[in-house]
Amino acid sequence: MALLEVNNLRKTFPTGEKALNGVDLSVEKREIVALLGLSGSGKSTLLRCINRLVDPDSGQVVLDSTDITSLGKHDLRKARVQMGMIFQEFNLVNRLSVIENVLSGTLGVTSLWRTITRAFKKDDIQRAIELCSRVGIADHIAKRADQLSGGQRQRVGIARALMQNPKLLLVDEPTSSLDPKIGAEVMELVCEVADERNIPVLFSVHDLGIARTYSQRIIGLQQGEKVFDEQTSALDANSIEHIYGFAPNGSPASVAH
Amino acid sequence: MMPAANPTLIQNPLRQPADLLRRYTIYAVIVAVILAMSVHLLVYGTDWSRMGSPSEIAETAISLLPNLNFIPKIVSPLLDTALMAFWGTLLAVVMSVPVSYLAAATTTPSMIFTFPIGRGLIVLSRSTHEIIFALIFVATLGLGPLPGILALACRSVGFMSKTTAEAMENVDRGPIEAIAATGAGPTARFLFGVVPQVFPMFLGNAIFAFDANVRRAAILGMVGAGGIGLHFSEQMKSYNYGNAGACVLAVVILVVVGEIVSNRIRTKLISG
Repeated sequence: MALLEVNNLRKTFPTGEKALNGVDLSVEKREIVALLGLSGSGKSTLLRCINRLVDPDSGQVVLDSTDITSLGKHDLRKARVQMGMIFQEFNLVNRLSVIENVLSGTLGVTSLWRTITRAFKKDDIQRAIELCSRVGIADHIAKRADQLSGGQRQRVGIARALMQNPKLLLVDEPTSSLDPKIGAEVMELVCEVADERNIPVLFSVHDLGIARTYSQRIIGLQQGEKVFDEQTSALDANSIEHIYGFAPNGSPASVAH
Repeated sequence: MMPAANPTLIQNPLRQPADLLRRYTIYAVIVAVILAMSVHLLVYGTDWSRMGSPSEIAETAISLLPNLNFIPKIVSPLLDTALMAFWGTLLAVVMSVPVSYLAAATTTPSMIFTFPIGRGLIVLSRSTHEIIFALIFVATLGLGPLPGILALACRSVGFMSKTTAEAMENVDRGPIEAIAATGAGPTARFLFGVVPQVFPMFLGNAIFAFDANVRRAAILGMVGAGGIGLHFSEQMKSYNYGNAGACVLAVVILVVVGEIVSNRIRTKLISG
C-alpha cells in the first residue's frame, strides 16, 4: 500500500470557489511527486487538505494506514507531526532566531511547560544544530530569521520540517519566492535530504522545468481535477497542453533544459 | 460637459464655479455661526470687573517663578508620582492581556458575547478622563497614591488593549500556519506564532503609556490621589505661588526625563 492515499477529495470554499473536485492520488515510499498546474488549479489547497490546515468537505486522506480525515483534534496534531511542510513564503517567525525557528518543528511533541518556558530538550537542540549545518545555515543559527536572505530562509524552513522527523514532506511552491538559481539549489537540497532519510516528497509547482528536473512522477491539476498522472518521462507537449489548457511559449523540450 | 478641443484643458468636475460658490457659502455660514456663539461665550462669560491691570498680571506671573528652596521638599512626592505612573502602567499592561484577547476578532471566543465586552471596556477606558477615575477611587478608597494608581491603570488599559488587539488581528497568518503544521497545540501556536509578532509593539506601547501616565500622575494629586499634584494644589491654595511654581518646574523635569528615557528604550526595541 502506498504511504499516502488520497481518495475523492473535495473542497468548496465559503466564497463558492470549487478548489478540489474529487481528486485521487497516491504517493509511494521514497517517491518524489510534483503537483503541476496553473495558479488556482487547487495545488495549495490539496496540500493543505492532506495535513488539514484546510478541512476538506469530503473524501479521504490516508497516511500510513491512518485516516487523517476522521481524526479528532488531539490525534490530528499527532498525525501532523508525521508530515513536514515547507512553504512558498517560508512562514518563519521573523522575530525569533534561526535555531528557535528550527526548534519550533518539535512543538507538536514538546510538553506545555517546555513550550511556555522555551526550554527545549538538549537532544532536540543538538539535532537542530546538526540540521542547520546539513542545510547550510550553521553560521547563522543565532541570527534573527528576518536577517537572512530568501534562499537561507527557505533552508531554515526545510530544517524546521525535518526537525519533525516526518514520514512525508509536503512542499508548497518552494521556489516561487526565489530566483531561478537559488530556487534550483533549494529544490536540490529538498530532494537530497529526502533521499538521505527515505522520505517521499509531494511538491506543488507551476514551473515546468522544476517539475521535470526534480520529480519522478507528475500529477497535473486543472480547476480542482486531476488531468494527468504519469511518470515524468511521459510528459510531452500534448500532456503539457492538457494540464495547462494551452501550449506554453517555446517548445517543451527547450523549457525543460 | 463642454466638448473639449484640448484634452488637457478639461476642468476638474468637482471645481465647477457653481460648486465652488456653494462650498464657500457653506464655509462662511459655519464660521459666522461659530463667531456668533463665541461672542456670547467670551464677552458675557468673562468677569471683566475682576480682570487685573497688565501690571497686576505681570506681578502674578513673576510670583509664580519657582522658589528653588522648595525643591528639596518635593523630591520625595515627585518620586511618588513616578512610582504611581510605573505601577499604574504595569497594572494596565497586565489587565490589557485578557481585555485584548476578548477584543481581537481573531482570538475572542465569541463575536456575540465576549467581543462586545472587550470593545466596550476599551471604549469606557479611553473615553473616561483620569480625573474622573481618580475622583471615583478617592471617594471609595480614600486619599493617597493607591486610588491614583488604579485611576492610571483604568485610563491606560484601553489604549494598551486597543493597540494590542489590533496588532493581534493584523499578524501574519503564515508563521501561525507553519507552527500549526508541526502539530503544535493552541498554546504553542499563540506563544510562537502570535506573541513574537506582537511583543515588540506591545512593549513599545507600554513605555508610551508610562510616558503619558507620568504626566497624568502629576495632576491626579490635585484631587487627592497622592504625589506632586497634592503639593501643587496645597501651595496654590495657600497663595505660595513661588512654591507652586517649583512644583510645576519639578513636573516639567520629570516629564522631560521620562520622555528621554522612554524614547531611548523604544528606539532600542525597534532596532534590536
